[in-house]
Amino acid sequence: MSLTRRGLLVGAAAGGGLLVAWSLMPRSYDIPLEPGAGETAFGAWVKIAEDGVITIAVPQLEMGQGVTTILPQLVAMEMGADWRQIAVEPAPVSGAYPNLPLAAKWAPLWRPLIAPLSDDEDDMLLKRWAERHRFSVTADGTSLAAYERPCREAAATARALLCMAAAKRWDVPWGECRAAEGFITHEDKRLRFGALAAEAGKLTPPDPPPLLPGNPQDPGSGLSNDEPAFPRIDLPSKVDGSYLFAGDVRLPDMVYAAIRHGPLDQAALSSFEAEKAAGMKGLVGVVRGKRWLAAVAHSWWTAEKALAAMAPRFTVTEPVDSAAMIDQLDDAVRRGSPQRVAERGQGDDRMGTPNLALRYDVAPAMHGTVETAAATARYADGRLELWIATQAEERARRAAAEALDISPADVVLYPMPAGGSFDRRLDFDHAIEVALIARETGRPVQLLWSRWQDHLTLHPRPPVAAVLSAAVRDDGRIDSFRARLAAPSTDREFGARLFENATNWAAKDYAADEADPMVAAGMMPPYGIPDVAVDHVPVRIALPTGRIRGKADGYTVFFRESFIDEVARRYNREPLSYRMEMLGRDVRLAECLQRAARLGEWDGGKDRSGRGLACHCMGDDITGGRIALIARMRGSGTGMVVETMSAAVDIGRVVNRDIALQQIEGGLIFGLGLALGSATSYQNGLPSAARLSALNLPKLGDTPEIRIDLIESDAEPFDPGEIGVTVVAPAIANAIHSASGLRIRRIPLISENL
Amino acid sequence: MSKMTVNERPVQFDMDRDTPLLWALRDAANLTGTKYGCGVGDCGACMVLVDGEALRSCLVTIGEAEGRYITTIEGLSRDRSHPVQQALVAEQAIQCGFCTPGITMAAAALLDRSPVPGETEIRETINNLCRCGVYPRLVRAIQRAGRVALRRETISAAPAPGISAEDAARAVPALANPVEDEGLD
Repeated sequence: MSLTRRGLLVGAAAGGGLLVAWSLMPRSYDIPLEPGAGETAFGAWVKIAEDGVITIAVPQLEMGQGVTTILPQLVAMEMGADWRQIAVEPAPVSGAYPNLPLAAKWAPLWRPLIAPLSDDEDDMLLKRWAERHRFSVTADGTSLAAYERPCREAAATARALLCMAAAKRWDVPWGECRAAEGFITHEDKRLRFGALAAEAGKLTPPDPPPLLPGNPQDPGSGLSNDEPAFPRIDLPSKVDGSYLFAGDVRLPDMVYAAIRHGPLDQAALSSFEAEKAAGMKGLVGVVRGKRWLAAVAHSWWTAEKALAAMAPRFTVTEPVDSAAMIDQLDDAVRRGSPQRVAERGQGDDRMGTPNLALRYDVAPAMHGTVETAAATARYADGRLELWIATQAEERARRAAAEALDISPADVVLYPMPAGGSFDRRLDFDHAIEVALIARETGRPVQLLWSRWQDHLTLHPRPPVAAVLSAAVRDDGRIDSFRARLAAPSTDREFGARLFENATNWAAKDYAADEADPMVAAGMMPPYGIPDVAVDHVPVRIALPTGRIRGKADGYTVFFRESFIDEVARRYNREPLSYRMEMLGRDVRLAECLQRAARLGEWDGGKDRSGRGLACHCMGDDITGGRIALIARMRGSGTGMVVETMSAAVDIGRVVNRDIALQQIEGGLIFGLGLALGSATSYQNGLPSAARLSALNLPKLGDTPEIRIDLIESDAEPFDPGEIGVTVVAPAIANAIHSASGLRIRRIPLISENL
Repeated sequence: MSKMTVNERPVQFDMDRDTPLLWALRDAANLTGTKYGCGVGDCGACMVLVDGEALRSCLVTIGEAEGRYITTIEGLSRDRSHPVQQALVAEQAIQCGFCTPGITMAAAALLDRSPVPGETEIRETINNLCRCGVYPRLVRAIQRAGRVALRRETISAAPAPGISAEDAARAVPALANPVEDEGLD
């Protein structure tokens, strides 16, 4: 039996009291929350002050997805607090917040030689590993799955203790006390949480914590005008400039650093003209790394000017070149040795000669976060303080410690929010660099990467070449389907960088010849096709690659849904009913398709209608999310634009409806960016997309009308962040075909023909 | 020394005249609400008002800004009370918040010039890059801000910062009033 997310949740419930009941906290780590004056800490999650302010610790990176609202909302609901008495602080890096579902998902990356975890004993092993490595990485839409239960248990424990404290004062049974709106009540008596907190903190909590019945769901509009019952807690400080990012930290005596890296890959600094910057007004110093050059000054602008003047040069061991990569992938998809990464039925054993085989290509894609990499550091008395936005706090902390050759215990990481990430902030090279620069400079320093440096050093979504084939009957039914993807083993590469702190080139070598199932995630069709084979041809290319919002599903769904559309048209089947017919095994996805069709005014997909559709079940077929999208194009030729995107989405139980909608809207727009842009080529190790405008990203004027039908149910919640990304490119490609007869089999879809 | 007025205060910057206003504001004046995203005018995260016009502060040098009136996000209102600030929060047209100051300044300048902007005008004017994808909410938010500015509607979505404990307790019963009780109501 393999480990499921549900299994993990149950596992967490059994042992979860350990985390929240501080008296039972394992001794391997301290209680991470430091109560301030007048505050009482309740386990690892909650502090209540005597004035009534409840502070919730959030162990996940806020990068816009709303996690600093959702987790506190769960606590507030479970405790019976007033939303307006809730405050949030980033949790310190601690073993008290293990992200178990993600540790399980990524087990092939951190334990590559051991098969996926399989039984209860291994479950404990995973938990111990995650706690010991302080594994609280923010990724893969796991926040709710990982932390809903611990948040609720912490809140339920606090609520019970507050009731017990009140009951003692009133001399009544505590089970008769109620908690609501920040008060404990019994008949006509009531007391504020804040007035009871100190007494409550001295009592012994009930075990297990008395959770409220049912699972938390958005309570619906609490007020008039459809205002959300739990508005985002981070927004007021985001409209007046007071919300601080890592680059907004200001320390006494602090100076600013700019940096230059060499071309990709494995570049070493060879020379620079130090004298050209000498005496520059405001320049504090120059720090030379093996593979970078940094200048430190009283303003970032001066530091950047000094670098330009010094014109650093680099030698490059393995220069990245797009033409070479395209040839390699082309050769691999035609002649390489495929490794089977997923299969259904008889795989491709019964396929024979396929009736249809089509080729698809994907260019490397960049994240395009508006915030570039930034970090602030202070090194004094052998101790490093680090202000940084990272999805992998403990890994960043350890990397900085290693760079300075100090103990990780001497690195204090202050988690800062990110100005967008989309998995860009799984990288933490700047943590290492700022640590070294701070040590060499002897002053607090803030390192900011220029836009060009951010583009140069990022790990893009990998380039992919794929061939999809099918054995199709005369009536259009597909008996066998095979997808063969030539691509680097991106996630193995990423795993080596993250878990081993490996260099780009060591990671590429490590990943080189072994297939990576994550590279083909999303390829398995939700349709009732009896035999399916998914193959990966691993290719070692010069470009170091990584993860981006939507993951592999961001291109595999494009392949599959474009292909299905082509089969439908070749066999004179209407694209919607053709899909519906094959969806008997997935009723929820069929429902999404029907609803999207209504919302998007589907007209049978006639030629020249300008409408295209795509659908996807992301994740596994039990716990996965579903989406169907109709894209509608307007105009023709060069003037063709996406006019509307109409999506029906089933993500099961929804905790905060408006945040879910924000994530779906944002996902669709991010998908639009990936469909029409975000791409780069490389020459001599340098990306052609040197600036943001080169990525052709959507702005307000390019954004189509977006309609969303969010289907809520009691099914297991699925994260809304990435699912929207997956269906945009195929829906648009299919719409372009409908509008113009032109079939585009590569992303981005922009071509000379359009 | 480049002299100008920033958020109604006279300021002089002891920096090279070719320094972009962005870096003078961020690194010398510590007005970090104005963000760096690209340095070449692609993203709009660094927009400020220069004599009432929304400009990208990465493209304006302090030499060029000499004698001008600069308003940054910190100076748009004292207490988040500008209609654009209130409407962006009310419509939850903010995610990571990094591009928000720039969008706020662009929208404030637009409403100043055109109190009842149509959808097309808003879509053509607000040219800021937002990667989280708040765009579908922006037209609604800016039009709503316009109605608030004309006093046809009121919003109180973003509370003022630095509220006193007494005022907080008056609004939220769960919070204690320090001058009154010990939690008894």
